[in-house]
Order: sequence, then structure tokens, then C-alpha cells
Amino acid sequence: MEIAVIGSSEFIVGFRLAGVQKIYAAEDDEKLRKHISTVLEDEEVGILVMESKDLNRIPPRLLSTLENSIRPTVIAIGAQEGGMSLRERIKRSVGVDLWK
Amino acid sequence: MALRDVKPTRSELINLKRKIKLSERGYNILKMKRDGLILEFFKVLGEAKNSRGDLMEKYEHASEMIALLNTLEGTINIKAAAFSVKATPTIDLKSKNIMGVVVPEIEAASVRKGITDRGYGLIGTSPALDETATAYEELVESVIRSAEIETTMKKLLDEIESTKRRVNALEFKVIPELSEARDFIKMRLDEMEREELFRLKKIKARTSV
Repeated sequence: MEIAVIGSSEFIVGFRLAGVQKIYAAEDDEKLRKHISTVLEDEEVGILVMESKDLNRIPPRLLSTLENSIRPTVIAIGAQEGGMSLRERIKRSVGVDLWK
Repeated sequence: MALRDVKPTRSELINLKRKIKLSERGYNILKMKRDGLILEFFKVLGEAKNSRGDLMEKYEHASEMIALLNTLEGTINIKAAAFSVKATPTIDLKSKNIMGVVVPEIEAASVRKGITDRGYGLIGTSPALDETATAYEELVESVIRSAEIETTMKKLLDEIESTKRRVNALEFKVIPELSEARDFIKMRLDEMEREELFRLKKIKARTSV
């Protein structure tokens, strides 16, 4: 299994330096969507790394697919609201906001 | 099951009693499963918070390094160095079973590399490049760890939700309806018995005259 990275060109170049082969530069929304669907269909990808600010740019349906996806697992890194979706899920399932 | 669909017969009563017993047993077991899952979830929760914080820290460090490198070396040079890196970090997926929930165990192989294994020339590049590469390797390691924990969380949460739904459905819907039907049949049968008795007495009174 491999790791895939989608993001702006500054974001992904560092991962390339760490040896990640599957890096996709997403300059505009159209490309972002296309790359995400490519990665979702790729059997070899185990983890998908994205920038959290990119998550605001993709359509809600795709976003919920990403959030619920287990293979590949989607990890968003970046400035803020990293664990937001997970927090929402905890609230919904357990009934209490445990993520403090 | 609406009450009017219930046939007030003895066999139906026996069936219902059996069903109620079964539902109660299932309810108890599911309740235990739910509690177990929540306990397990709490264990993972602490780890998840730590790994999130760790990830953020590593990411900030790595992006600082790459920004620095950008000013020192220029984008083209970084890209050239990056494209010569050959060794890919691969991950190994195994699965683990927590109370019937299959969660992945991700193991990272060969994320960290020695300076000489990276593939770019050492003489033409600056030490800052090496440090950036190390920072990103650490970040990738941390991403892999987070991925395992977050997947586990997601799966556990899904399972908790469905188990909770099942428990609630049994507690508030299935069992009350079944016991209502049982009570109805019991009452109806008693009523029929009394009617029968009364009829017999009536007949006896008429024949003895």
C-alpha cells in the first residue's frame, strides 16, 4: 500500500522529498475533484493526505464520501479545524462532545 | 405489530412468550456490546488527540523548513532534488478485531532514510535540504500513525451508532409491543374462559329446572 498526496504544488513537494510517489498537484477545483476520484479508485492507496483548506473547495457529497472512507483513510492536515469532522461524528454517535 | 393483527389463541401466546424471551436476551447482549465498544472507544480517544497534536506540530515544522528551503535554494532546485528520491515509503495493512469490529493495523516500512539513500547528490545541495527531507519523513510517519488511529475511531463510532440504534429499538419498540400483545392475548383468553364458564352455568340452571 502507498500514500497519496493531493494539494497545492508547495504542499506536495515536501512529500515528494520524503519519497511519496503518488503526488497530485491540484491548482483548480476541477483538477482537485478529478484527482480525488482517481485516488479513490486506486486500489494501491492506503492513506490520502490533503490540505484542510482544500476540503472547503470540494462539493459536499464528495466531502462526505471522503470523511466516511476507510480505504483509503483521508487525513487532512493544515492550520485549523483538522479534527472537525471526527468531532462531529463523536457528537452524533456517543451523544457527548468528548473532543476537548 | 398492531394489536388488531394478534390472534388471541393459546399457541400465539406461547410463540409471543418465546419471542419476548429471545428479544430480552438479545437486548442484554447488545447492551453489553455497546458498553464494551464505548470503553474501547475511550481508550482510542486519548491516543487520537495526542496523534492529532503531534501531527500538527510536525506539519508546522515541516512547512517552516520547506519555506526556508524555498528562499535558500529556489523551487526548481528543490523539485530537482525531490524527483531524484527513489525510495517510496510503503505501508503494511493488517487487521485487528475489537469486539467484532475489524480495524486496520498500519505498519510503516522504510519511511526514514539515511542521507545517502535519498538519491540526490550531496555535494550540490545544502544541509537545509537534508533537514527538510527529515522533517517530511517524520511528518509522513506521524500521518501513518494518525491514519491508523482515525480509521479505528471511525469504525468504532459507526459500530457504536448502529449498536445503540439496535439497543434502543429493542428497548423502546420491539419489547413493549410484544409484551402489549401478550397482555392482550392473556386478557382475551381469560375473558373467553369466563364466558364459557358462565354459559355452562346457564345451561346447567336451565336443565336442572
